[in-house]
Amino acid sequence: MSGLEHELRALAEHVDWSDPPDVALGVGAEIAGQRPRQRPSPRLVFAVAAVLVALAVALAVPPARTAILDWLGIGSARIVRVDELPPLQLNASDELLGEPTTLADARSRAGFPVAPPPRDEPAPDEVRVVDGRRVSYVWRDGDRIRLLVTQVPGLLQRGAILGKLIPPSVRIERLMIDGDGAVFLGGGPHAVFLLDPNGRYEEDHGWLAGATLLVDRGGTTLRIEGSLSRDRAVELARAMEG
Amino acid sequence: MRARHGDAAAYEELVRMHQAIAYRVALVVAGDLGDAEEAVQDGFVKAYRALHRFRAGAPFRPWLLRIVANEARNRRRSAGRRAGLALRAATAAASGDAAPSPEAAALSHERRDALLGALARLDERDRDVLVHRFVLGLGEEETAAALGVRRGTVKSRTSRALERMRDALPEEDS
Repeated sequence: MSGLEHELRALAEHVDWSDPPDVALGVGAEIAGQRPRQRPSPRLVFAVAAVLVALAVALAVPPARTAILDWLGIGSARIVRVDELPPLQLNASDELLGEPTTLADARSRAGFPVAPPPRDEPAPDEVRVVDGRRVSYVWRDGDRIRLLVTQVPGLLQRGAILGKLIPPSVRIERLMIDGDGAVFLGGGPHAVFLLDPNGRYEEDHGWLAGATLLVDRGGTTLRIEGSLSRDRAVELARAMEG
Repeated sequence: MRARHGDAAAYEELVRMHQAIAYRVALVVAGDLGDAEEAVQDGFVKAYRALHRFRAGAPFRPWLLRIVANEARNRRRSAGRRAGLALRAATAAASGDAAPSPEAAALSHERRDALLGALARLDERDRDVLVHRFVLGLGEEETAAALGVRRGTVKSRTSRALERMRDALPEEDS
């Protein structure tokens, strides 16, 4: 870069820009008034998450060549159906699930209310925690994870978005479980990532190729993954209530 | 209702991420603080309405800046203002400002004024490309989007504009 280019860049710090206005609330108010209130068209409905997901994909998953087909939101999760998944690393390293610990310690480090393990399952083989971000219960079958239950704080608490990319083969069912919104993803691999409030992408691989139930419960998103039927997944979610 | 609030909150986050650079672009293009603010707000609202046309996988910021710059340009034309250099030198660093970079600290008041003066004397196209690329610090793709030209045009125009600016500047004493 030439000296003049450096000088022009340095000039930015000497310019009176005046404070940028915070227009976020004004924009939010305007778009809230425009939002379709009944039977919104899928093309409009996917818009916000589509941009966030597209950003994450563009910035962090270069090989992904996806067309976003649809999306829905549940708790802190944005589920996006795409025509092609980026390369997946299923059964990724346990380190991504966090540090093994006790339930009491995980609860104290989570920074959000953590539901106990499901009552009708044996105690989990492991409890893992990523401070302030995630608590996971892990049941193993040999080296393989048989069942994984993860709790993450909601969108409004962390400002982060949990994204899931779903190929066309995965079935999506919307459910209500005792008044909590939920989504069941019926089988097949999917990609998972986190987008933090600054737009930075964090890898958060899907560990299992099985079914996933997501429940938005009081600001916490509960994720149950394994070779499960929808009804069994719902039973497990109910068995985790206070 | 919950999902709807969540969507609005998500878009507001996106606005907060990009509003500072969008405002600077709008200020440079519109040349007026009030018009710049309106251009940013209306630009974000228009971007929201047009999200279904956003190409998946494409970077969001150039697309947004093109919309905001168009809004700002329309306001400048409606107000009958000629394109000019909207940038003014700050009178003094505000107490809360971060320490200047070594490059900025090395820029004397005289040199700063000379740079602003030379920019102001350039023709509109040369000035625009230099301000967007270097003063605003945009990449080539973002500059192309904001100016409504092709990336190759940004490259060639930048090179020519730098030459003209060098010719227009007084020799440095140092």
